[in-house]
Amino acid sequence: MSLLQVQQLTIRFGGLTAVSQVTFDIAPGQLFGLIGPNGAGKTTCFNMITGVYKPTSGSIRFDGKAITGTPCNRIAGLGIARTFQNIRLFPALSVLENVVVGGFLRHKTTLTSSLAYLPSAIRETDAMKADAMKLLEVLDLQDVAHVRSADLPYGKQRRLEIARAMATQPKLLLLDEPAAGMNPNEKVDLMNAVKRLRDEHGKTVLVIEHDMRFVMNLCEQIFVLDHGEEIAQGPPEQIRNDPKVIAAYLGTPV
Amino acid sequence: MFWPKRIASIAIGIGACFLIQAVAGKMFDFYGLRLVALAGLYVTLAVSLNLINGITGQFSIGHAAFYQIGAYFTGYLSIHYFAAGAGKVGGPVVWLIAMMIVGALGATIAGFVVGLPSLRLRGDYLAIVTLGFGEILRIIVQNQEALGGAYAMKDIPTIQSLWLVWALAFLCIAVCRNLLKTARGLTFVAVREDEVASAAMGVDVTKVKITAFMVGSAFAGAAGALLAHYEGLITPQTFAMDVSFIILTMVVLGGTGSITGSVVAAIFLSYLPEYLRNLKAPDGGTLYVTGATCLQWMLTIFAAVVLIRWISRSLQFPLVQRLGLYAAAVVGALVIGKLLGFGVNLISGLAAIQIDAGQLRMAIFAVALISVMLIRPQGIFAHHELSLTWLRGLVSRKRPAEVSA
Repeated sequence: MSLLQVQQLTIRFGGLTAVSQVTFDIAPGQLFGLIGPNGAGKTTCFNMITGVYKPTSGSIRFDGKAITGTPCNRIAGLGIARTFQNIRLFPALSVLENVVVGGFLRHKTTLTSSLAYLPSAIRETDAMKADAMKLLEVLDLQDVAHVRSADLPYGKQRRLEIARAMATQPKLLLLDEPAAGMNPNEKVDLMNAVKRLRDEHGKTVLVIEHDMRFVMNLCEQIFVLDHGEEIAQGPPEQIRNDPKVIAAYLGTPV
Repeated sequence: MFWPKRIASIAIGIGACFLIQAVAGKMFDFYGLRLVALAGLYVTLAVSLNLINGITGQFSIGHAAFYQIGAYFTGYLSIHYFAAGAGKVGGPVVWLIAMMIVGALGATIAGFVVGLPSLRLRGDYLAIVTLGFGEILRIIVQNQEALGGAYAMKDIPTIQSLWLVWALAFLCIAVCRNLLKTARGLTFVAVREDEVASAAMGVDVTKVKITAFMVGSAFAGAAGALLAHYEGLITPQTFAMDVSFIILTMVVLGGTGSITGSVVAAIFLSYLPEYLRNLKAPDGGTLYVTGATCLQWMLTIFAAVVLIRWISRSLQFPLVQRLGLYAAAVVGALVIGKLLGFGVNLISGLAAIQIDAGQLRMAIFAVALISVMLIRPQGIFAHHELSLTWLRGLVSRKRPAEVSA
């Protein structure tokens, strides 16, 4: 059974059809790539899956439940976490605190005990900080745990976004251009990190990426979007040789 | 180990409130005591608005409305039921505490109602709605004969309890600080920083915003109850738009999001106009200043602001050297002002204009605010809290670049 099932997904903004009739399935434990030229509608797909936009028509099922039109925070609670193309951390919070916010989904103590700073709230906050610290170690950010996240260099901010998303303990992780702006070495590190998230932590990953080498080496299944429509779907070897994909990226010979 | 510590700190807090009452009672007359009480109320108002505005980032400028609800609601109850009820509950102070709770509840409900539009509106638009709410409420009250109408709600039983005023302020500070120390508080800041990212991380943005509005208004409502019983008479003008703006100014001047900043700015801004109101000449008569002196001082302040801004922007030195430079800039500005003063005195007629210094108080107030915002737009404390870690960090400040390298 598939973990995420997207069927006939369509969204229109006024007269513009940004995404049209998109259908794909992601199996548990799959590394799934979503590619396409700029403006193809990839991030819009992410926004529909995570509940930022409500699709005009079509359905999204996650883990057997229909989630079309469910509010953002509830979808996060069901087990879908994401990163953002244009990094969206909480700049004033420290690296550790950013990850703690990601873990707040599982927070149990009441508002009253937080306001009164009762032992239950203190204990839970300490436990959440300890959990967050462990996650920072996984992504090799433990040394900058108490730095304001706005002061981090770019590559570390990208990694912190992944750590924060991981803190929600998702089943499905959506990464929006995680390798953008990274140098070749950083990209290799990132690819290994993403593979580890799947192999060691059992996450299913849906990734948007422009870097073809990155996607081809990482993903097992790839979906190609152009002008909001599917032009190809399949394993990397097949995508690489698909004439429509080549045309979309390089143009047709004249 | 937790409870003994907690009980001790509560005892110290209440002890401090009684100490304030005792010391102020010895030092001040009726007028001075009223200022100490008002300062305490403004601390509560500023810190509670800071929760909504600074910590959660919901730009509300109708805080006086919640203050008003607390005052009128409990004032009305006290006029009608104090005589019968106070004896039963165990004295006026207990009655006042009960009224604070009732006022807080009333304001909390209003906070919930005003919090609702904050789910759809952001920034300026939310500000307009909250401002409108405050004005609508004031005008409704102004037209209710049962509430005293435009004249005043009078004959509220006066229960003046200075320690209770400051106990509320301390409670408000403690609650906000507690919240910020827990994981829950971080989600409030996260909502301020980025709503979309907060929601994507599973934070219930709706709940956070409404909670901030409800908790913030509860404290304003309790403060209103204290005001009504301190003054014994409240008018709709007590809660006019300018009161909302003064509270907002306190939050912004202190540093949006900083509890310490709100407290310091609240005390400073509630005292400054009263100090200026009472300026007297050495012989005790009205203090007059000439138009030329006014102009000279305006030029001096202008020079000081320009110099300090230039130093803070273009020169990077450790704190101690920078403070030295600022002091030098102020001295320089005084000299420039003095020199320009000779020129100003030559302008015919200016030296002959006599202005009552007391009349200038709002102008001085405004100039002080504008100067602070020009020199330090992030507010006096920025987003910092008064703590040992922060003070230590100040002395050996590292630039962000060094941290990330």
